[in-house]
Amino acid sequence: MEELEKIVNFITRTNWLLFLGSSLVALLLASPKVYLGVFLGGLIVTINFHVLKNTVTQNINQERVMEKGKSLIGALLVKYYLRFALTAVIIFLLIANRSVHPAGLLAGLSVVVASTFIAAAIELTKIIFREAV
Amino acid sequence: MEFLVGSVWAAGFAIGIAAFGCGIGQGLGLNGAMSGISRNPEAAGKIQVNMLIGLALIESLCIYALVVAMILLFVHPAIGPAVAALAGH
Repeated sequence: MEELEKIVNFITRTNWLLFLGSSLVALLLASPKVYLGVFLGGLIVTINFHVLKNTVTQNINQERVMEKGKSLIGALLVKYYLRFALTAVIIFLLIANRSVHPAGLLAGLSVVVASTFIAAAIELTKIIFREAV
Repeated sequence: MEFLVGSVWAAGFAIGIAAFGCGIGQGLGLNGAMSGISRNPEAAGKIQVNMLIGLALIESLCIYALVVAMILLFVHPAIGPAVAALAGH
């Protein structure tokens, strides 16, 4: 359990680090529209991940699951789809108004996936080296 | 013009197929999590963490498809001339 929590904390921390790092690189090396895409894309998915984490941790726990007369799926899914719809509207406005470069936005939106892959790679390396020893 | 029509079709199919796949994936994940928790409520914490990562990854795929669909609809290089040609007629 502690190990799993560590992984989620690692992903959360890496999200912010990757977001800041990629924004800084884009600011220094790319055009303003690409930078804005990377920055806003990274910000959207990082905040999204935090909200998703809060929604899941508040609703999927032992007390809530055992509670009688409460619709767990209702509370979870309504929040989930509201957040998702809000994200879609923001992305729509950004692209439709051509405020950001689409490639930059895609790069920014990949922050959570990248940090999850980094966490997976680190865990895999640990397993391989543990087996080798 | 055909190219623009093709782009609109592609955008529609892209987000449709992505939403279909992600919906099934999330549904299966949530189904498994709920079954696991109802059978063993003490394992809710472990299931919660795994579910969180799974949902975030599945959701990212749907967001990618949304962005690609938006690019096909609004930022496509052929969209400007096509709209101008439509306005001319």
